[in-house]
Amino acid sequence: MKKQALTKLSFIFALLSLAFILNACSQKKETTGTSDDRKYIIATDTTFAPFEFEDTNGEFVGIDMDLLNAIAEDQGFTFEIKPLGFNAAVQALESNQVDGVIAGMSITDERKEKFDFSDAYFDSGVVMAVSEKEKNISSYADLKGKNVAIKTGTEGATFANSIKDKYGFTTTTFDDSSNMYEEVKSGNAVATFEDYPVIAYGINQGNGLKLATEKEAGGQYGFAVNQGENEALIKMFNEGLQHLKDSGQYQEIVDKYLATPESKASETGFIGLIKENYKKLLDGLGKTLLITLVSILLAAIIGILFGLLSVAPNRGLKVIATLYVDLMRGLPLIVLAFFIYFGIPSLTGIRLSATIAGITTLSLNAGAYIAEIVRGGINAVDNGQLEAARSLGLPYGKAMQKVILPQAIRMMIPSFINQFVITLKDTSILSVIGLVELTQTGKIIIARNLQSFDMWLIIGLIYIIVITILTKISKQLERRIQNG
Amino acid sequence: MAKLKVTNLKKSFGSLEVLKDLNLEVKEGEVLCLIGPSGSGKSTFLRCMNQLEAVTAGHVIIDGQDLTSTETNINQVRQNIGMVFQHFNLFPHLTVAKNITLSPIEIKGENKEQANQNALRLLEIVGLKEKADVFPSSLSGGQKQRVAIARALAMQPNIMLFDEPTSALDPEMVGDVLAVMKKLAKDGMTMIVVTHEMGFAREVADRVIFMDGGYIVEEGSPEQIFDHPTQQRTKDFLDKVL
Repeated sequence: MKKQALTKLSFIFALLSLAFILNACSQKKETTGTSDDRKYIIATDTTFAPFEFEDTNGEFVGIDMDLLNAIAEDQGFTFEIKPLGFNAAVQALESNQVDGVIAGMSITDERKEKFDFSDAYFDSGVVMAVSEKEKNISSYADLKGKNVAIKTGTEGATFANSIKDKYGFTTTTFDDSSNMYEEVKSGNAVATFEDYPVIAYGINQGNGLKLATEKEAGGQYGFAVNQGENEALIKMFNEGLQHLKDSGQYQEIVDKYLATPESKASETGFIGLIKENYKKLLDGLGKTLLITLVSILLAAIIGILFGLLSVAPNRGLKVIATLYVDLMRGLPLIVLAFFIYFGIPSLTGIRLSATIAGITTLSLNAGAYIAEIVRGGINAVDNGQLEAARSLGLPYGKAMQKVILPQAIRMMIPSFINQFVITLKDTSILSVIGLVELTQTGKIIIARNLQSFDMWLIIGLIYIIVITILTKISKQLERRIQNG
Repeated sequence: MAKLKVTNLKKSFGSLEVLKDLNLEVKEGEVLCLIGPSGSGKSTFLRCMNQLEAVTAGHVIIDGQDLTSTETNINQVRQNIGMVFQHFNLFPHLTVAKNITLSPIEIKGENKEQANQNALRLLEIVGLKEKADVFPSSLSGGQKQRVAIARALAMQPNIMLFDEPTSALDPEMVGDVLAVMKKLAKDGMTMIVVTHEMGFAREVADRVIFMDGGYIVEEGSPEQIFDHPTQQRTKDFLDKVL
């Protein structure tokens, strides 16, 4: 047991040292908040309107946000919001990456085993919704033999699962609301079970669904902290909540989102969406490009190092390189991202910003592929080249440097460009740890305006345009290098 | 003292033994030709002499230095042993002149000017002075091989190893390369040549060695080997190639 922990630790240590180097150069923008005791980091969902979502001005708003702001003001503490997505937020809390989670989270016995909850701040209830055009489904009995869309971890999901045997329907699980609505609109699922406030807000925003049943007697939403940690925070939350309820401010906040629904999203149509969101999209694109560039540079260093080891005459070095490549190639990127972002902090207690974790993930992953590219390039150089160089008295290192690598690199360039494009696209996977790059930006915008078809079209086009431009530039560069 | 001495040399690739207990002495200035059927081990034997192939057992001693010893700085020793390959192995990313000056500049620390002068002089010897600034891809096979010889000579070796230097050439190119090699021999270079050019062996070699099946079957002057072979295997081989 102990030995295992030790090897685990040493592996983590290696990853961390890389992370630290990165931290040193790009940490400034990310706030960890450890310097100020009263600055709490609160994780939340990205797409759980009306509890949390970005409005047209890019402000993070919603019932949860307004409540938290009001309570913080009332109790005099400061906080920073991290919109990670529901699952990621819960995992971040478990691994002490954040101090608390407020994300329209139902208070359940299962969760109470891990977390301490505040007093309930919202009474919810599950309701069934169907497509606007649906005429045949108006009760649970109509669901027999049909498929129903649910969202992980919601009360709706729990409820649907509890009655699905009785009524004979199946369920498909989604990670965020907008995808779930699309599933119902497209007819892949006939209905969805969702918490009343969420679906009511969505319908009001024109998500193409309608309510089909009355609200079930509901559960309650609470603010969560890790068990035994941050007792003070819970206490402040409860006191603040009570003050707000007493003063009527609580009702004002809830009514703002549910009683007087906002007018339909102003941004419609392709051009309108771009006009409305171009600033945010550019920010997202900038982040995507920055992460890609930094990652590919680090990956090149890692890749060249391990690539050289893999062709080294020494067998031990070869084994090290093979291990690294097999490990990184065998791990799905999303698993690696979760491991680095959630696993490392829970094992070591050191918090990594999403950017650092993201760059580390991509560098390690792309590094393995580049190592293979380097190995392949070197092996593609005729063995007679090394023999000729060695026969002239050039030591191995010099022979590699002056004779083998210059030839190998020319052969590697097309694969390098390919890897660059793959890494750029892989940044989209980092949205799972809440990194607001281009894809995540799209998710956030869709969470607000529910225009998923047009938005994904725009996002897709941006990727295609940027990648095409970068590929063209690379090809130009390649031609110049090939011609001497 | 022998310039090069091989004692009890054995070489195996896995379980396949390709050289079986070879002994050889080469005198300073001697030109030695290794002949024999393909697969007889002549190229491997040659490659053991500068340790491009590590020997399985035995010793290779050049100027009193044992190349098989771990204490020997092999990079140092190789500077004195030029090698010419069947497929030239010129560096395609470097011009002809830079192919030649790479080692002198990188290892001997010659300055560019000096190395370049020397390269031009060597190119003149092999008759290719005007090709100094072109890339190898624009040369014919025969020209490439002459550049390869110049490249080996640039390190001022005192032994030259030739591994079937004309086997990959079109017949009309062979003459130019052999002419350069003859010139070298005449100037007193110690040379060991694996070759199928029996005419060259007869004309230039001081001694001819016939190898077969990993053994030295017969050795002697060109007249002895070509005109009065004593071994049946030598006779069979010569009947086929002459």
